[in-house]
Amino acid sequence: MTVQKERSRVLQTTKKINELIIEHFSKAWDVKSQGKPISWVTVFTPVELLYAMGVYPISPEHFGAMCSARGVALDYFEHAEKSGYSQSLCSYSRCCLGYVTSGMSGLMPPPDILITFRNSCDVYVKWWQSLHSHLGTQLFVGEAPYVLSEDDMDNYVLDYVVKQLEQLVKMVEQKFSLKLDMERLVEIVKLSDKASELWLEILKLRRFRPCPLGGRDSASDIFPLVVMQGTDEAVKFYEELLREVKEKVNSGQGIVENERFRLLFDGIWLWHAFDLIKYFEDKRAVFVHEPYSEAWACRLDASKPMESIARKILTMGLNVDIDLRIESFLKSISEYQIDGAVLFSNRSCKSWSAPQLVTADILREQLGIPSLLFEADMADPRQYAEAQIKSRIDAFLEVLGER
Amino acid sequence: MQTPSNLRELVSNPSAILSRYRDSGVKVVGYTCSYVPEEIIISAGLQPYRISDIGANASALVPNFVCRFASGVLENMLKFEDLFSAFVIAHTCDPMWRLYDVLKKKTSKPLFFLRVPHDIENELSLNFFEKELIRFKRFFEGNFGIKIDATSLSNSIELCNDNRSLLKSIYMSNSGGRYGISASERFPFVLSSMWMPKQEINAQIRAYDFSDSKAHRNVRLHLNGTAIYDLDLIKMIEESGGFIASDDLCTGSRYFWSNVEKSEEPISSLAHRYFKRNPCPSHGPLEDRLEYVNLMLREFKAQGLVVLTGRFCDPILYDSVHIRNMLAKSGVPALVIDYENSIQEVARIKTRVEAFMETLGA
Repeated sequence: MTVQKERSRVLQTTKKINELIIEHFSKAWDVKSQGKPISWVTVFTPVELLYAMGVYPISPEHFGAMCSARGVALDYFEHAEKSGYSQSLCSYSRCCLGYVTSGMSGLMPPPDILITFRNSCDVYVKWWQSLHSHLGTQLFVGEAPYVLSEDDMDNYVLDYVVKQLEQLVKMVEQKFSLKLDMERLVEIVKLSDKASELWLEILKLRRFRPCPLGGRDSASDIFPLVVMQGTDEAVKFYEELLREVKEKVNSGQGIVENERFRLLFDGIWLWHAFDLIKYFEDKRAVFVHEPYSEAWACRLDASKPMESIARKILTMGLNVDIDLRIESFLKSISEYQIDGAVLFSNRSCKSWSAPQLVTADILREQLGIPSLLFEADMADPRQYAEAQIKSRIDAFLEVLGER
Repeated sequence: MQTPSNLRELVSNPSAILSRYRDSGVKVVGYTCSYVPEEIIISAGLQPYRISDIGANASALVPNFVCRFASGVLENMLKFEDLFSAFVIAHTCDPMWRLYDVLKKKTSKPLFFLRVPHDIENELSLNFFEKELIRFKRFFEGNFGIKIDATSLSNSIELCNDNRSLLKSIYMSNSGGRYGISASERFPFVLSSMWMPKQEINAQIRAYDFSDSKAHRNVRLHLNGTAIYDLDLIKMIEESGGFIASDDLCTGSRYFWSNVEKSEEPISSLAHRYFKRNPCPSHGPLEDRLEYVNLMLREFKAQGLVVLTGRFCDPILYDSVHIRNMLAKSGVPALVIDYENSIQEVARIKTRVEAFMETLGA
C-alpha cells in the first residue's frame, strides 16, 4: 500500500479549541475566587440548569482526557493506585481520584457540589460516591433509567427524570441561596440548542466526498458541547467551524488527499495516542462518522426547558436500547458511505465496549461491512500496544483495499 | 449432621435441576441477581432460578475485561437457553446492563430488563421502582397469558418470607461471637433457595439439625464481595483457619436479610423491600454500604475482613478502598483479593489468605 506523504490537515477552527479549554478552566478559578460555586459534573448532566443558577460546571472526565493527551496523567494514576484504586478501574476516574488524593493543585478548583446523573455508565455512581467520601462535599446522584423504547419518552420514565431535575434545583437553591431564573434558563436552553443544531449540521457535511472534517477535528471540537452548552462562546465556535467546513466542501478540499477509505470509529478516542488517527489518514483512510461525536448534540425545545433537558439526559448515545443504537449505526453506514468500522474496545469503558462484538457481527451479517476491533485504554498509555495495533490497522486496510 | 446430599449435588451442578423442571412441565424463569423479586415469578406459577457462573467459561461474546462473573452468567444463559421460558436481568452494574444488550440480540426467549435506580435514599426512585415492578408483573401476564392477583402475590410473599426467615435464623447462630454454623455448611442452603421450589427447601431447612454443626473455633471473619457461587473458595478460607461468621454477599446475607411487610398493596411492599434492602455495591449511598459492613462486624464479632472479588468488578473495587479506610480507623485488618479465574488462581489466593490468617493469629 502506498503511504501518503502529504501532511494531513486539521481545521483552523479546531486549533482554537486549546485556547477555549484553558479559558474555561482559568475562568473556573476566577469564579472560585469570587466565592461563587463550582460543581464537578459527569458529562450529560444538566449544565444548562447550573449555568442558569450561577453554578460553574467542570467535567473531570474532560480533565482526564486532557491530562492523558498532554502526557501528565501517569502521576495521577499512580496517586490513585497508591490510595488503593485498582488499575482495572476507569482511567478517567483514576486520574480524577489521583488529582484529589494528591492535593488538587492543578486545573480544577475544588468542587462545592458534586453532581452526576447515571446515564452513560454506572461507574459514575461509584466514582462520585468516592469523591464524596474523600472530600465530604455534598453529592447529588440522579438516575436516568435505560431507555428501552420510544414510549419511555412519554411515560413515567421521563416524569421521573423531570422530577429529579426539580429536586436538583431545590438542592442547589438551598445550599447556595440561589434562585433559578426561568427566563435565563430559556435563553440558555436556546443557546444550547443552537450549538447542537450547528454541530449536527457540521457533522452532516462529512457525508461529502472528500470528507471535510476528520477524526482529529471531531475529537477536539466536541469540547464546547461537553460543559459549555448554553454559552455564547459555544455557539460562536460552532458558527465559525461551520463556515470553515462549508468552505472546504465548496472548494472540494478533504482532510486527506485522494481519500481512499471512509471509516466509522466506535468508542472514545485514545487521548494519549491521538496520532493514531493520523496514522489512518496517512494511508488515506478518513474517519467520517463517530457515534461518540454525535452523542453530544441534542436538540432542545425552549418552550419546555425542563422536559427537554430531561430527554437529553435520558437519550444520550449509550443510554438507549441496543436495537435503537444499532438502527442508527446501520443508517449511518449508508448515509456516510462507510467502507469499514473501527471499534475501540476500551478497557476503561465496559459500558461502551461490552456489546461491540455483537455489533460487529451485525454490521458484517447485514451490510457486509468489515470491522477492526482493537483493545487499549482511552487515557492510560500503559495499556497500549502501539506496534501490535498498527500492524492490525495495516492488515485491516489491506482487506478493505482488496474489496 | 452432614449437609443433605441433594443440596451438595445441587451446589456443585445447579443446572441439573433444570432437566427435572423440564421433565415435570415446570416453566423456569432465569434471573441474574437478588434485586429480582422471586415473589412475582412464583405468583405467575413459574419457577425462579438464579443463573450462576458455575461450570461456565468466559463468554466469547464480550471482551475479556468484562467481569468474569457476568460473562459466565451470559454463557450459562445461552448454554441452557432451551430449559428456560424467560430471562430477567436487573440493572446493577455496567456488565449486567450490557449483558441485557447482548442477550437481546442472541435469545429468542422473552427477556425483561428491571431498572433499579442506584441511589436508594431518593423516594422518587422508590416510586419509579414500584412502577417497574408493575411492568414486571405485566410482562408475565402478557407472555404467559395469566393474571397475577393480590392473593397469589400475598401467598408467594409469605412463602419467600418463610424462606428468608429460616435462612436468617441459621445465620444468626453465629451472632455475638458464637460458632453456630460454618459458611461451607450454611451456603448450600442459601444457594439452593435460589434454585429449588421454596416449599421443598423450606422443609429441608426445617428438618436439618443445625445443633450438630461442625463449625471450628477459627479466626472470625466477615466476607465482603458480590456473588460467590464457588464453595471451594469458602472451604479454602476455612481450611486456612478462618471462620466466616458473616458476609454481605448477593449470594449470602443480602439475599435474605430483610422480609417483605404484609400489606393490602403487595407490589408496594415488594418495591419497598427490594429497593430499600441492604444495597448492592453498585448502588448507594456508600454510607449505607459501610454501615451494613459495620453492623455485621459488630453483630458477628469479626476479627478481620476479607474482600473476594473478580478482577473487573468495578463496584467492589471502588468500595474496597473506602472499606479499608474505614477499617483502618477501627483497627480491623482487611485483605482484598481480586482474581480473574478463582479455579485457576486458587493456589495464589490460598497463599494470601494463609498469610492474612497468620497475621490474625490463626
